[in-house]
Amino acid sequence: MRRASGGSGASGPSTNNPLLAVRLPAWRSRLLLFGLFCGFVSLAARAFYLQGGVSTQFLQRQGEARYARTLNVAANRGAITDRNGVVLASSVPARGVWAIPEEVDAGKRAVAQLAQVLEVPAAELQQRLAGQDRSFVYLKRQVEPQIAQRVESFNIAGIHTSREFRRLYPEGAITAQLLGFTDVEDRGQDGIELAFEHTLAGRPGLRHVIKDRLGRAVEDDWVREPIEGRDVRLSIDDRIQYIAYASLRSAVEASQAHGGSIVVLDVASGGILALTSWPSFDPARRDQMQGQALRDRAVTDTFEPGSTMKPFSIATALENGVVAPQSTFDTDPGWMRIGGRTISDTSSHGVLTVEQIVAKSSNVGTAKIALRLPAQALWDTLTAVGFGQAPRAGLPGAVAGRLRPPGEWRPIEQATIAYGYGVSVSLLQLARAYLVFARDGDIVPVSVMDVDSPAAAVQVLRPQTAQAMRRMLELACTDEGTAPAARVPGYSVAGKTGTARKLHDGRYSDSYVASFVGLAPASSPRVVIAVMIDEPHGARYFGGDVAAPVFSRVAAGTLRALQVPPQEPAYALAESDAADSARSVDSARSARSVPGVRSVQ
Amino acid sequence: MTDSNRSRLIVALLAVCLMASALALITAQHRARDLFADLEVAQQLGRQREAEGNRLRIELGRASQPAVIEAAARAIGMRPIDPDHTTLLPPTPRGEQPAEQP
Repeated sequence: MRRASGGSGASGPSTNNPLLAVRLPAWRSRLLLFGLFCGFVSLAARAFYLQGGVSTQFLQRQGEARYARTLNVAANRGAITDRNGVVLASSVPARGVWAIPEEVDAGKRAVAQLAQVLEVPAAELQQRLAGQDRSFVYLKRQVEPQIAQRVESFNIAGIHTSREFRRLYPEGAITAQLLGFTDVEDRGQDGIELAFEHTLAGRPGLRHVIKDRLGRAVEDDWVREPIEGRDVRLSIDDRIQYIAYASLRSAVEASQAHGGSIVVLDVASGGILALTSWPSFDPARRDQMQGQALRDRAVTDTFEPGSTMKPFSIATALENGVVAPQSTFDTDPGWMRIGGRTISDTSSHGVLTVEQIVAKSSNVGTAKIALRLPAQALWDTLTAVGFGQAPRAGLPGAVAGRLRPPGEWRPIEQATIAYGYGVSVSLLQLARAYLVFARDGDIVPVSVMDVDSPAAAVQVLRPQTAQAMRRMLELACTDEGTAPAARVPGYSVAGKTGTARKLHDGRYSDSYVASFVGLAPASSPRVVIAVMIDEPHGARYFGGDVAAPVFSRVAAGTLRALQVPPQEPAYALAESDAADSARSVDSARSARSVPGVRSVQ
Repeated sequence: MTDSNRSRLIVALLAVCLMASALALITAQHRARDLFADLEVAQQLGRQREAEGNRLRIELGRASQPAVIEAAARAIGMRPIDPDHTTLLPPTPRGEQPAEQP
């Protein structure tokens, strides 16, 4: 380095520095320059190596490990509402508390604190955390978010929380069997929850996010967008469902019955307004979810309908011109023989018109009419109104019942099928079949979904036949008939009772199914209501005594809820016993015989 | 201005533009990340509100249960409708006074 020469000639302290006067060798500066050059070249090489060399994947992994996260995005399960938008089932966020036992570092005090917050016995919690061989254990699932926050505030190593959903059913036991329930993973297990799983369940999403040093997501990339579950709107009316449930429960308890069911159908659309069974369960309590309470009896159980089947036999006869409403039949002496067997009424009714046969529920009269019909004609009507086929109402477990082909019917079977034995149906099927009388001879499919326009109707009977049947069924609800207790103050009603013996181990026993299916108002039906009480054990067990009063209560409440104006002066409710309650049943009847049928010795 | 000077000026201007562009890019990216973080917070809040809404709908459903209403009505002395306590009024054409009940 050359000494700097001052242009001005002024001499300062630096110019006099002897060190500056020393001449350095040129190779030193060149060496330094070369060293710096090599340094930069190595840096550039390293940069190229890191950016495009073999270790790219490693670096990317390291970068992702520090800043990239893959997040599961939960999808909400859809809500279930009634036809008026009242929420019947909905999911709310909850948290699952879990642990990695081998990482848990908690003293006895911390565990006790945790147990108290989670409301779990401390010993049980300690036992779960002691399972060192397990890498994952749930401590409690579906806890409230506030509780999870308290758990997180303890900052116990190895204890974590995760996002979950909890299903709530505001109506509790009232809609329990209808709605079903979900499992702990929020998947439908029964009822509507199961039947509409594909609609209700969303699909969780997945996304990659880049987090900054504060832990905030600053960029994202969707791997899969979440799909939210869709709501399901039912045809159920919350108010009518409650009326049916409360009436059924009190009737079953009062008659000491095993159980019972009620179905309420909207005549115009075929929509199910109420569907309830007792015993029921509280969906919030898993310990109650067992046994008979889980069964939606109206859909999954079949029974021999007994006299509630008679109107279909009579209607077939009217439709085929075999009889007219005023045709008379002699039912004396209260029994008749067919193929070596005897069909009987509970008492002799003498000469009856067809209308009176329905009103008084005469087995002999019905059998005489049925035997005038070709078996195929009766089978055609029963099939057309839905017997022998599972109703496609959108409910899981719907059964088809039993209706044998007409070619296999012997005359005695044709007669007994005509009054409801040798055929099995579900209550939902029975209620749907009565739509044919309520709708002037045509029938629509039943549905649990709230549909804007009903499905296409199928004409089964002529309107005149259906109207004639309505008049007969109305007569059955007067003092002359078997069901005066079905009457509703202010409205005309029509319906038919049924009291059928139950089969136990292939033999008819002394236990009964009491039923009533009716229409209200009779003049212009808005609803069909079917009531079934299984094995009433009280002093009274006839359909007219046990099921008809339930129909009356449910019909009164339903018509009020639907704002149907009263059409008739209020009835004075008859205090007299129902006609069929006075009937006695021959207790010595052969257990193997069809009820109403005696073997000739 | 000579060609050489003009070229230098252009290079200098381009260099300044490049620097400004680079700074703008960094600023925009920072701002985008801030906004994204805000969006995340807002969306999280939205989900919370939705969950609260669901919970409130359930509470409303519980409070408006017919059983609850019936119990409350009975508690204040109300009773179910029966024919003895029901007066039916015939519909009257608009503008006319309903006929006096006997």
